[in-house]
Amino acid sequence: MQVTLKDWVKSGSPFIWLNAGAVAISIIMVLGLIGFIGAKGLVHFWPGAIVEANYTLPGNSSASIMGQISDSEMVGREQLEAIGLKTPNNSEEAQRLLLKVGNRDVYGGDFRWVLEHHLTDIHYPEKAVAIERREWGNFYGYLDKVFEGKSQVADANQDSDQAWSHFQTLINRALTIHDEIMDIQKSEIGSINHQIERLRLKERGLELDNKLGDVEKAELEKERAELNAEYEKHQKVLSVLYQDLARDHFTAVEMGGKTIEIEISEVVRAFKPNAMGFFEKVAHYFSKLGEFLGDDPREANTEGGVFPAIFGTVLMVILMAIMVTPLGVVAAVYLREYAKQGFITKVIRIAVNNLAGVPSIVYGVFGLGFFVYFLGGTIDELFFPESLPAPTFGTSGLLWASITLALLTLPVVIVATEEGLARIPRMIREGSLALGATKWETLSRVILPMASPAMMTGVILAVARAAGEVAPLMLVGVVKLAPTLPLNGNYPFLHLDQKFMHLGFHIYDVGFQSPNVEAARPLVYATALLLVLVIALLNLSAIYIRNHLREKYKALEM
Amino acid sequence: MTEAMNATDAQVKESKTKGHSLDMSAMGRENKHLDINAEIPAFSVNNLKLSYGEKEALHGIDMIIPKKRVTAFIGPSGCGKSTLLRCFNRMNDLVDGCNINGEILLDDQNIYDKGVDVAELRRRVGMVFQKPNPFPKSIYENVAYGLRIQGIKKKRQIDETVEWALRSSALWNEVKDRLHESALGMSGGQQQRLVIARTIAVKPEVLLLDEPASALDPISTLKIEELIHELKNEFTIAIVTHNMQQAARVSDYTAFMYMGDMVEFGDTDQLFTNPEKKQTEDYITGRYG
Repeated sequence: MQVTLKDWVKSGSPFIWLNAGAVAISIIMVLGLIGFIGAKGLVHFWPGAIVEANYTLPGNSSASIMGQISDSEMVGREQLEAIGLKTPNNSEEAQRLLLKVGNRDVYGGDFRWVLEHHLTDIHYPEKAVAIERREWGNFYGYLDKVFEGKSQVADANQDSDQAWSHFQTLINRALTIHDEIMDIQKSEIGSINHQIERLRLKERGLELDNKLGDVEKAELEKERAELNAEYEKHQKVLSVLYQDLARDHFTAVEMGGKTIEIEISEVVRAFKPNAMGFFEKVAHYFSKLGEFLGDDPREANTEGGVFPAIFGTVLMVILMAIMVTPLGVVAAVYLREYAKQGFITKVIRIAVNNLAGVPSIVYGVFGLGFFVYFLGGTIDELFFPESLPAPTFGTSGLLWASITLALLTLPVVIVATEEGLARIPRMIREGSLALGATKWETLSRVILPMASPAMMTGVILAVARAAGEVAPLMLVGVVKLAPTLPLNGNYPFLHLDQKFMHLGFHIYDVGFQSPNVEAARPLVYATALLLVLVIALLNLSAIYIRNHLREKYKALEM
Repeated sequence: MTEAMNATDAQVKESKTKGHSLDMSAMGRENKHLDINAEIPAFSVNNLKLSYGEKEALHGIDMIIPKKRVTAFIGPSGCGKSTLLRCFNRMNDLVDGCNINGEILLDDQNIYDKGVDVAELRRRVGMVFQKPNPFPKSIYENVAYGLRIQGIKKKRQIDETVEWALRSSALWNEVKDRLHESALGMSGGQQQRLVIARTIAVKPEVLLLDEPASALDPISTLKIEELIHELKNEFTIAIVTHNMQQAARVSDYTAFMYMGDMVEFGDTDQLFTNPEKKQTEDYITGRYG
């Protein structure tokens, strides 16, 4: 029997196909998005082979060139002919490669476009080294001589293996010393600076209160002298360490034939990608990935890690959730349970819903004007007069960023909680009231616990929205580089007045404000992927809590 | 799953053994003819009028609810019997636009007076609803809820009261091994008995039952009826029911209501065998409407 179109439509299959198609497209888009930024971002950490070749443009003399291939694209014949070049065999297009040649101190730039058909004698020398430095980007070339102090201890031209292992030992030694210095600077000296600053504020505070007598002055002076002595002690240790650090250096040859002298202390990592086996490469990859996740950024955010940004994002979102949840829940409970339903509650509901549609930058402007300048300024005048004119809370910071985002996400929590409260069967309320419970007892013991999964839904939506916001944060607290984490060992540990870093803003900064665009591009993708993962992780933990609560109070399915 | 089946088996067995004891007790009531005028009133209702907005639902009710007796309210849907029942513990206060005139006296105090503590009134006058409404807590916590609300903190006292309440509602043997499991895992009949246990745990003076068995299967219904019989020794009970046989079986007095009026109120046997009003007779013989 033939199935007519009419029967087919009647059977409902087209509708099922339509729905399934929509779901499939959504899934493909999500996976495609993550896959794309993942592929673009994650390859960045893989140690690519170092190519060495002769590059001869017609009319120019031949030059040796070395670097890692980081991109390739096709160029049209017209474009080449305009600058007097030809495509291979008169074809329509020619391939050109982006080489990361490094040695910014010598060449002026890290990257160079080359036409593939003008490269000759392409080979991958095993001895080629890539050296990551703290400044001037990567170095590509050959290791020459290694010096310990003033004396030469190895020469790669004679025994390359011995020179390489010597080189690595010296690098590890320098890294250890460097870590030690960083440790002292960050914790000990940071803490002393913090205490000296507190002393200064105390003195200024006493002065403002006209209580700064000779006794207090002497006491403060004594404390300051103690701190200064301690500082001097650390400084001495540091100067010894610095001398130690600067002891060794090495020389290396770049492709132009120049020999360059580099301090060992400048080196972060040195490796020979062409000589590495697969597992070594994997190990290298994960070490780079670990650095990305766990370290501070270097070189204007184009190298190193994004740990402060991850930390800042998560801390800010958690603070935001802590602020928005009670406020939203209380507001929703009042609106739904206590307020007399009528015209005014209707207007409030409409206002709350519209608040969700206000562009986020508007919240940023509001946060800057109201929270930072007005509230923060007032707080400074009342509670921190000793540090004026330098602002404490009167400048953008973690607290204001969290509050601004809490305001931004408040409607979501209110709406979700209200819906949760409305869904609780009337019978349950009556059951509690009939036992002699007051309205408040009924709410706190039965209704609110039962509505808690709905509240968590609100929090999940709020977290998803807040973690992805960048625009308002630029006005109320996020910076490109924060010297310390907002949560550290100095009293009072959580520094709500401090500025912080944020993954979303980091993407913006690396993508738009970077002095080294080509180097920054893969980091944009990697950071974007990381931001998505962090948000997903925050959401999943909230969803886990919600499902747990749902399981506990599943009476709603009755 | 097996637990549920076991519970059902137990119920069937129990109902078989106790099956006719109910009939016996229903038949052999102590005094065949009760006199309403000789009773001590728990509640006295004087000219009670209630309206939802413009619409009047009760047009001046006068009656008493006798102490330690079971009073049944019957009548067609929408006659106002549930509304009247909910007046006794001021449950109608929760309804927007509900207006009440007249008085209901409990211990010579009008419960609608201004100074009355509604929560305290509701503790003294407990209520069980049509559908079982246990809280999403453990069985134990459900029964202990009212006690905790009253601020009782001593664990031993709560333990004892919970056991007493569960025994009184004939649930103890079924749940004593799973007191700390969720009440939502119980069968509908068990849940309703749990709700009764929860209500009597706060030792109210009056129990209001609003069609307590209408959402239950026949065996559970039977159990609830037995329970009512047991409880009337200690509590004053007022029950709304759609089921006239049930009213006849469990109550001492019956009130027949129609369109917001109290048509007839008196001794149950009298009302069912020899009603005074034609309307009542039509209704109980099924000729109504």
